[in-house]
Amino acid sequence: MEPVQTALAILLLPLASATVIALFLRTRGALASWISTGAAGVIAILSLQLILGGARNFPASWEWLKLGDLVISLGIKFDDLAALMLFVVSVVGFLIHVFSLGYMHDDQARARFFGGLSIFMFSMLGIVLADNLFMIFIFWELVGFSSYLLIGHWHEKSSAAEAAKKAFIVNRVGDFGFLLGILMCYWSNGTVNLTELTAMGAANQLALGAAIPLLLFCGAVGKSAQMPLQVWLPDAMEGPTPVSALIHAATMVAAGVYMLCRIHALMVFEALQIIMWVGTITALYAALCAIVQRDIKKVLAYSTLSQLGYMVAAFGLGAGWVSEGVKGGAMDVMRLAPDAAGVGAAMFHLTTHAFFKALLFLAAGSVIIGCHHEQDIFKMGGLWKKMPVTFVTFTIGVLAIIGMPGLAGFFSKDAILYLAMKNDTKVFAVLAFTAVLTAFYMVRMWKLVFLGEARDDHAKHAHETGLSMTLPLVLLAVLSVVGGWSAVFGKLAGSVAHLVPEAEGPVHTTILLVSLVVMTLGAGSALFFYQSAPTDSLEDKSRFAFSGLVWLKESFDRLYNYYVAKIQQRFAMLLNFLEQIFLAGLIIRGFAGFVGLVGYGARAFYTGSLHAYVYWFLLGAVLLWAFATGLL
Amino acid sequence: MIIGLNHYLLISAVLFALGFLGVLLRKNTLVIYMCLELMLIASTVALVAFSHFNDTLDGNVFVFFILTIAAAEVAVGLAIIVALFRQRHTVQVEELNQLKH
Amino acid sequence: MANLLFYTFTFLTLAGAALVVVNKNAVNAAMFLLLSLVGTAGLFVLLDAALLAFVLLLVYAGAVVALFLFIVMLLDTTPGAVKPFKPATIVAAAIGGVLLLVGVVSLHQRAQLPTAVTGAVSPTLKNYAEMLFTTYLLPVQVVGFLLLIAMLGVIVLSKKFADPEDAK
Repeated sequence: MEPVQTALAILLLPLASATVIALFLRTRGALASWISTGAAGVIAILSLQLILGGARNFPASWEWLKLGDLVISLGIKFDDLAALMLFVVSVVGFLIHVFSLGYMHDDQARARFFGGLSIFMFSMLGIVLADNLFMIFIFWELVGFSSYLLIGHWHEKSSAAEAAKKAFIVNRVGDFGFLLGILMCYWSNGTVNLTELTAMGAANQLALGAAIPLLLFCGAVGKSAQMPLQVWLPDAMEGPTPVSALIHAATMVAAGVYMLCRIHALMVFEALQIIMWVGTITALYAALCAIVQRDIKKVLAYSTLSQLGYMVAAFGLGAGWVSEGVKGGAMDVMRLAPDAAGVGAAMFHLTTHAFFKALLFLAAGSVIIGCHHEQDIFKMGGLWKKMPVTFVTFTIGVLAIIGMPGLAGFFSKDAILYLAMKNDTKVFAVLAFTAVLTAFYMVRMWKLVFLGEARDDHAKHAHETGLSMTLPLVLLAVLSVVGGWSAVFGKLAGSVAHLVPEAEGPVHTTILLVSLVVMTLGAGSALFFYQSAPTDSLEDKSRFAFSGLVWLKESFDRLYNYYVAKIQQRFAMLLNFLEQIFLAGLIIRGFAGFVGLVGYGARAFYTGSLHAYVYWFLLGAVLLWAFATGLL
Repeated sequence: MIIGLNHYLLISAVLFALGFLGVLLRKNTLVIYMCLELMLIASTVALVAFSHFNDTLDGNVFVFFILTIAAAEVAVGLAIIVALFRQRHTVQVEELNQLKH
Repeated sequence: MANLLFYTFTFLTLAGAALVVVNKNAVNAAMFLLLSLVGTAGLFVLLDAALLAFVLLLVYAGAVVALFLFIVMLLDTTPGAVKPFKPATIVAAAIGGVLLLVGVVSLHQRAQLPTAVTGAVSPTLKNYAEMLFTTYLLPVQVVGFLLLIAMLGVIVLSKKFADPEDAK
């Protein structure tokens, strides 16, 4: 099969699956789940074929809309970056589909869930394969819609419906900036095609300025939940756990980082500085909030936020240090160009994060099922005996995220820390401290969930989950281990792997030492500090620190609620009032009333008396005659 | 005094005005109809006068048509009035006013 | 001599018309219409259109006015029960009359038309027939068709429709 056909099949197969489910299989949950999972499987196979087949950058573009000079086309850009992302999306997606077979087995609305998963796969693959910014935007919105659909899957719960609404609206705020960025890019550069933009960037023909990349970054702020739009991601945990794994850990939230890498050519130094600091602050903030969470999924959500901050910071760190001299040797004109090392580090961490975060979420799902839908970690404990497979895979995931040498997360985190140390020491300090916190809260959760004695009845009678759920865990655990090795990642990522910064010599040793120290410090203090008790040890020992961290989390939500309730709502009421009076009342009813009046006036002529009509006739004849003789 | 075209046209105009005034003033439907006929006669006088003073016969031939039309119109119109009389038992125009709003 | 005849016939015509308008009795009005038609026929003779005068008398005076009289007497209206005019009607009628008068006067003042008579075309029957059957052939056919339709219409209109409720 031609690569174009394969790519199209990959893109359109989930759409077909979703259509079939939506039209015919609304009530047949089992069949819908098989179709969706089957489609995901075929996509995974085709993706592997396409990636390992080696076909890159084949031409595939179809003109869709032509409005004067503006031409919006749909096309596929399949370079190494897209291949890497495709691998992540399709393989992790397929494993999560398999997990959902078991997890959602008893759900009433199973068909709707799998239809939503298929639509999500379609939208996400659209973002991955898109070749121009308009197409990315279309699928961006579709992904937002799928997320809304899936977060609100249990829409009978008002908290789930609220969370879905919140996610969509907050994303929309970011998308507004994104759209402005696309329009400005088109206006300044004349094209939104990614290949053309990269070529223009290489030839120094781009209209440079911080506005375009920052506006486009707004989209990433919304989709990847950076500050200040990070409020939707913790609430999005209202959705089923597979949804949290697929959308809010591995793929959709990573779409923001992927998009940044795609538009790498548009970046300028000032924009990258801002991006770097936004990512760093998000990482630190989320890590601090994660320490005081009770819900197992919320801990993982804040962990995702933190790791996303790492990715964004890594992308932002790839600035400066590459100076280009003017041709001809005169070195007085130097330009700081964006260093593609940021792209490499960010994508590396994105890939490894997808593996171990999906693993962690799915294992958490397994734990939740095992404890009969209990999500509070203080009501768990002692599960290492009762759920061995889950325990082992979860442990591998925890070790990966805190940076145990040899596992995937270690290599990617090292790359980021190295990049930080090379470019900006302040950021390096913050990121290192955040790594300590990461180890701290992850080990806290691990200890409270799995070690010690069972603190609740459900935990006492927990049992291991079925094969459909444990098999994906095992496979993801394998990927978490090998995903960072250069043999594996190099094969998958091709040229992107070459962009990852590699430390050498004494710097390499320094970084290694820093990682080890950070990991031991965090893990050790957590193991030591937290007792397997039904209450939070931090709350017990230091009320002040605990409530301070809780306030940190609440403050954003409170601020936004205040704004919406007090300011925005009042403005909306004012507009409603004006609309009722002027538009509905004066203009619409006014016109209708005027026409009615004219009707009344015309009705008055119908007296029924012949003589009256003759008089009107005479008047008409006189007017005509006066007009004819020139009197009028 | 030589009788010229203007005199005949004046006769025609006065006849027409009298007919119109009759339509305005009379209340009996049949008399109104007669006044309509008066107006037609006025137009025939004007036509014949014109054709006489312009040395053609077109006006005269046209009068033939007018006579024919008038005859047909009277027949149908009177049939309508008779049918109306059967329904409403009156020919006073003021009482034939059912088509008001 | 010709002038005298002209004035006589004019007087007949206009007096007859005025009396049609004024007279309260419908039968009287019909008779005065007849008088007016006679005057007009005379005027036609003065205008060298004798054939038309006779046709006018035959068709108009003979058939149409006779029909009018038939219907007037058939409908048996009593001339006494006529309501007096409302003030609004009098005002409106006065205005209408003035307008018509102004129309007549202005027409008389503005018309500047030729008066010479040469008598080139003689109004014989042969000439009439020639015009009717060549130049005005189409109107003749159309008028014939129209007469047919009028006849049908009259037959339909005067048919008494048997109402089932009346029969009970």
